[in-house]
Amino acid sequence: MPDRLWFDFGPQTATSKRFHRTLGAIEQVRQLARGRILAGHGLGLSLPSAMPLDEAFVDAIATVAADLGGFRWFSEHLSLFITPKGSVPNAQAGLGLPVVYDEEAFDIIISKLRRLQQALGCRLLLENGSFFTPVPDMEMSEPTFLNRLYAEGYCGTLLDLHNLYVTGRNGGVAPEAYLEELDPDAVEEIHLAGGDEFTGFYMDSHSGATPPEVWQYAFDYVPRFRRLRAITFEFQESYYERLGPGPLVTELTRMHELAACCHILPELADVG
Amino acid sequence: MLVEFQQALADLTASPELCIRVRSDPSILHQHYELTEREWRRLVGIVRHPGMACACMVYRANRLAPLALNIPQTCRALGEKLRPIVSEYWATYPEGNVHFFIEANRFCHFLKAKLATGCDLPGEVAPVLERESAIVADALHESLTEATPFEVPPALTG
Repeated sequence: MPDRLWFDFGPQTATSKRFHRTLGAIEQVRQLARGRILAGHGLGLSLPSAMPLDEAFVDAIATVAADLGGFRWFSEHLSLFITPKGSVPNAQAGLGLPVVYDEEAFDIIISKLRRLQQALGCRLLLENGSFFTPVPDMEMSEPTFLNRLYAEGYCGTLLDLHNLYVTGRNGGVAPEAYLEELDPDAVEEIHLAGGDEFTGFYMDSHSGATPPEVWQYAFDYVPRFRRLRAITFEFQESYYERLGPGPLVTELTRMHELAACCHILPELADVG
Repeated sequence: MLVEFQQALADLTASPELCIRVRSDPSILHQHYELTEREWRRLVGIVRHPGMACACMVYRANRLAPLALNIPQTCRALGEKLRPIVSEYWATYPEGNVHFFIEANRFCHFLKAKLATGCDLPGEVAPVLERESAIVADALHESLTEATPFEVPPALTG
């Protein structure tokens, strides 16, 4: 599979455009997607940033989506990636930073979700991030924030169970408490992954098999997710030599076992 | 103001030195950013959390990624000089570029300028940099071209 569908050259100028699509890669994905359901997953729209939505970026996503025949759903991250005072539109914060969950953040995000929905014309999901530094004294917890986005019809939740585990391992909220608070009907996709420890912290490095604790959360909670559309295993291909094919086959087998435990609502069962 | 809070959080994550200064004197946040008391308390709490060291480390790892991927031999040749050189580079260019070839190309120019001014770097850096920077420049130029032909093997399209 190709690893990029465009290059982002930063600010648009009079003589150069910002996004240069990799047409060969797009064609490859388009052909491979024939007869299959296609979902888009983005990183970097930075919906929580206290700044206007990056309209050029949205247009680039919409163009690629149209080239590929449209997304069934599109997911983004509930993390801060773009610095509001950056000198260029894609000035990155370097990693996904935590969001302050309050009314102001809610208003910023829903206005951008409305615009994104208009541009892509498909269901939207937001993914919980993994954080090393919890934000003190918040008005709302993250699950409350996601529940509200779902209840008010703005988006569903992409629940990354490994991100929950990472946050819990590094001193954040306990995954079980988070999962008890999250509305199970909000969850439409889950992510599984493995990580590793570095200097006393646990990283979301996508470097290996899903840890047993994450599988336990999955088998305890995923059967409650009646609106689940997809189970995704995230794996960084550069670790393939280290892991080998055997553990990957085991992961896929367990994902099928997990899917078999789900009780999807009949009206959703035939749409993936 | 939320804009100021978010910028301060990003700046702190990018600068372990700023974190150290804020830990010893939290009032300096008010000198640099227009924050409510609640935002200020949140930032002080974040900076004092043990996980802040990890956030700073991940920031540096993510900024190192485009260099390690595209000019690996230059990074190796720099040896112990890599840490001070990239720290100076990141201080000069606090904003990373999501286009890895632009980021790597910019670092190559930065390093060439250091060499031109007689900066004390290991002897093997110059020839390796010459070779890898040419590859990066070619890749950057190629990324301007949209039409890259690709034939999907028939076995994968069924």
